[in-house]
Amino acid sequence: MTRKLKKYFLLFITSVSFFALMSFSGKSLNDSDVKFPYKEAGLTEREAAAHLLNRFTFGPTPHEVDKVVHQGLENWFLQQLSAKNNDDELNRMLQGYDALTMSNAEILKKYPGNAEIQKMAMEDGLMNKDSLAKGSQNKKKLMNDYRMDNGFGTYKQLYSQLINQKILRATYSQNQLQEVMTDFWFNHFNISLAKSKFGIFAIPYERDALRKNCLGNFEELLLSTAKSPAMLQYLDNASSTGRNSKFGGTKSDLERRLAKYKNDNTPAGKKMQEKIQRQLNSGLNENYARELMELHTLGVDGGYTQKDVTEAARVLTGWRFYIPTGEHSKNIIRPGVIDNAESRRQGFVHDGDFFFAINKHDDEAKTVLGKKFPAGGGYGEGLELFHLLATHPSTAKFISKKIAIHFVSDNPPQSLIDKMAKTFLEKKGDIKQVLLTMVQSPEFWSKDAVREKIKSPFELAISTMRILNTSSINRPDVLNRWITKMGQRIYFYQAPTGFPDNAKYWINTSSLLNRINFGLAVTSNRIPGLEYDLAALNDYKEPDSPENALEVYCKLLLPERDITSTVKRLTPLLNDPDLGKKVEKASKESAANADDDSDDQKPMTPPTKKKTDNYTGSLSFNNSSSLKQVVGIILGSPEFQRR
Amino acid sequence: MSTRRAFLKGAGIAMFGISLGGVPTFVARAAESLKQNRLYKKKKILVCIFQRGAMDGLMAVTPFEDSFLKSARPTLFMEAGREKPLIDLDGRFGLHPAFKSFAPLFKEKQLAIVHGIGSPNNTRSHFDAQDYMESGTPFNKGTTSGWLNRAIGVMGHDASPFTAVSLTSSLPRSLYGTNEALAISNLNDFSLQVRENKFTQGLVANSFEDLYDETTSSLLKETGKESFDAMKMLQRADVKNYNPSNGAEYPKTALGKAMMQIAQLIKMDIGLEIAFAEHSGWDTHVSQGTLQGTFARSAADLSNSITAFWTDLGGDLQDDVTLMTMTEFGRTVKQNGTGGTDHGRASCNFILGNDVNGGKVHGLVKTLAIENLEDGRDQPVTTDFRAVFSEVADKHLLIRDNQILFPDWKGNAIGVMKS
Repeated sequence: MTRKLKKYFLLFITSVSFFALMSFSGKSLNDSDVKFPYKEAGLTEREAAAHLLNRFTFGPTPHEVDKVVHQGLENWFLQQLSAKNNDDELNRMLQGYDALTMSNAEILKKYPGNAEIQKMAMEDGLMNKDSLAKGSQNKKKLMNDYRMDNGFGTYKQLYSQLINQKILRATYSQNQLQEVMTDFWFNHFNISLAKSKFGIFAIPYERDALRKNCLGNFEELLLSTAKSPAMLQYLDNASSTGRNSKFGGTKSDLERRLAKYKNDNTPAGKKMQEKIQRQLNSGLNENYARELMELHTLGVDGGYTQKDVTEAARVLTGWRFYIPTGEHSKNIIRPGVIDNAESRRQGFVHDGDFFFAINKHDDEAKTVLGKKFPAGGGYGEGLELFHLLATHPSTAKFISKKIAIHFVSDNPPQSLIDKMAKTFLEKKGDIKQVLLTMVQSPEFWSKDAVREKIKSPFELAISTMRILNTSSINRPDVLNRWITKMGQRIYFYQAPTGFPDNAKYWINTSSLLNRINFGLAVTSNRIPGLEYDLAALNDYKEPDSPENALEVYCKLLLPERDITSTVKRLTPLLNDPDLGKKVEKASKESAANADDDSDDQKPMTPPTKKKTDNYTGSLSFNNSSSLKQVVGIILGSPEFQRR
Repeated sequence: MSTRRAFLKGAGIAMFGISLGGVPTFVARAAESLKQNRLYKKKKILVCIFQRGAMDGLMAVTPFEDSFLKSARPTLFMEAGREKPLIDLDGRFGLHPAFKSFAPLFKEKQLAIVHGIGSPNNTRSHFDAQDYMESGTPFNKGTTSGWLNRAIGVMGHDASPFTAVSLTSSLPRSLYGTNEALAISNLNDFSLQVRENKFTQGLVANSFEDLYDETTSSLLKETGKESFDAMKMLQRADVKNYNPSNGAEYPKTALGKAMMQIAQLIKMDIGLEIAFAEHSGWDTHVSQGTLQGTFARSAADLSNSITAFWTDLGGDLQDDVTLMTMTEFGRTVKQNGTGGTDHGRASCNFILGNDVNGGKVHGLVKTLAIENLEDGRDQPVTTDFRAVFSEVADKHLLIRDNQILFPDWKGNAIGVMKS
């Protein structure tokens, strides 16, 4: 066995043992020795169930606390960990979204960019230089027609499929934890739709790299992101170039070749000069290697240096992608070499869309974090680097802390992080086991942790859908606009850090008003396409008094929370018989406050002129709009902002 | 937190002074109308406009005697002089006629131009170049915050909810970070949206106010107070029925509206120190045009929005404000095959204010001979954007330590501000 082969063999063995471990831990998941220590922390079973639902789902649905109690908290959690619940209903809702099941190649074919459309239209003789020059309007129309006629979609359509499916999955998936973890890892390994260069690959990225591995093994998850076109483009590794001595790519090689064409002024010669010059200009790009250490694995204080970053970047030169697409898209990515037995022998690797271009790989020796990578390591040294990083103690701590921040509190106790990091190392990055250690720790159930997390705008919107038992969301795009307005433009966070996961980031004066307005908008039908039934939440039982209604709905919408303060503060809305008169009086006394009902918020009914004679003095619950308003206020209340 | 409380205290006195006999206080508050108290000391304000898409600096401010440029742009080049379109600024540079409303400001030495400005990172990707310019770290994508957000952190004044406001639907990269910054695309949205009459709205508002006042989460409690107070401040200012001063006429465009709202915030005197707006449409690959066309349209919108804003502010307020435009890079010296220009390197920017060293085209623009071009094709970057941004922040906002705004920056100011 050659040295290289031996290395591969070892890697093979390691991954086999991972699999063995994982399936083993899979079996042990049903073990009855999983115990949640909530009683010790002073929580009742129902409070614990609500806490569990608040942290591991996008919010409880009506009466879900009862269901979890009935099933047993531990059993419910283990079932969520295995993520095998039937999601047929959700899948039916997603049926119309064709891109969700497509490969990168299929997406490139169905959703070509403007440049490709233009090229194709020109090739088909439907556009020419003249029609391009006639002004952008005409061009736009021609291109749109061409798109329509040939069944091509736009980036905008592609992106809205991604956004809509996230909203629908988060609301309706029976495997809530899987969706929560997919969301968590997307934010951890963030990419953005801000640019189509990587945005077009986001659907397969989320589906294949993230959701598939979200409750699996960290090293495999990391590697899947590293090899995905989305990440390779987003952090520029696809263009990072090293010099490989075997492929004539060293600097002196290129300079020699350039000199050869120096006096060749033919168009072909000039083109060649430009090409070689481009190769000379291309070089190492450290973006990915830096974020890989700082954000994806070790953490900024993980004990690496700038030298380690540079050396890791050199290890990863040649990590690119190659997506064989149809005739029209072939100019998007050029592999430079053909995928065949000869190329494999030379050290090229084509695995799915991933492509290791050994001719762009720096083949000299490197050292990362003290580990030596001898010259000529090829693709295998990259795998070794990921293994080194994924199993590093700094990574165990960094990832554990990030998970604890998401699920426990913005400042999780060190004792908890230590326990989780220990499991992370012992179980070789098994994410399920890390989560299990967390939920079995008293810190998770401590009173300091319960309802201490503030919902992100996405979590707020989805938890609203869930608690109202919204039976359909016909316009996820409108819901998404509200999420954006509340401060979270999902899939568009530009920086590789992802959205900060702390309350301070989400709560500011403007976002808070928008959060409050969101609840009011939901219940006053200002978000089109939402179907829910407030009476059904209470099993069509009519509350016997407004006070009773208030209490009933507070309990329904805020399960297992202390609602005394909320009820107390909202009661004046219901039962002051003289309120109308008082309001009228107050209004007369404040003449300076000019009448202004022409509010920008486009009331459903025109600004009412009947505001004095129609005002009965109390917001009666006979009037369902009053119920809606109270529900709107509960949704906007501070209690509902917390999870 | 102590700075927040200073704000609340000021607002609180005004809010809770009056109570009507027998009426619950929240109803009284809903119905009352109060004169606004001045809550903040007068402050310096920096307004930034990001021209997204990369403005062609050579068309905006043309070195009109450059014969290389003339031959490189057969259908785009314009001449200056009598009966010629360009507005001669100094015998060498000519302003595009669509920017004509800038000419008097330049003449009055309120407006300065920096030509040859750009990033040391030679990426020609919009995304990367904007990212680098907004984070303020041209070689590091991992920087979590934006330079304007870091600026908020070192100004050290009493924080107002309106210290930093972006007139955009989501927060721009420049304002990412730990210091509070608002993204409001429309000031009218800054209210509780209750579909009933004013009274119900008042009741609902006060229910919320009480709920947030009682919560055990201190973050929700404090932010809640600020939100309701901020909302009332805007309501009292009657933002919907705003009349610009001095006959200012804003273009009816997204930028025109944004600039008008910035002027409103400034006049309300509610603690604004940094304002941000953006302007798209500068990516002129096709049919860029000369007197008409995509470039001219954008240029007219930009200059007319800015001059309307400036007129609206009027003399006194102009002393407090500096406005700066920025764009991620410039465009190729040569025009392309579709009557446009492609992604290049250096561009120019505009800086307006009374403490600006105006009436001058700053920076270095060499003759555009091939040997002077970057990569043989683009106007080279001769002034690092950080030199200009940090000088403006230093002189106008008095942020001396530019290492916080631009951690890797070690160069000098170029004299674009009066010293």
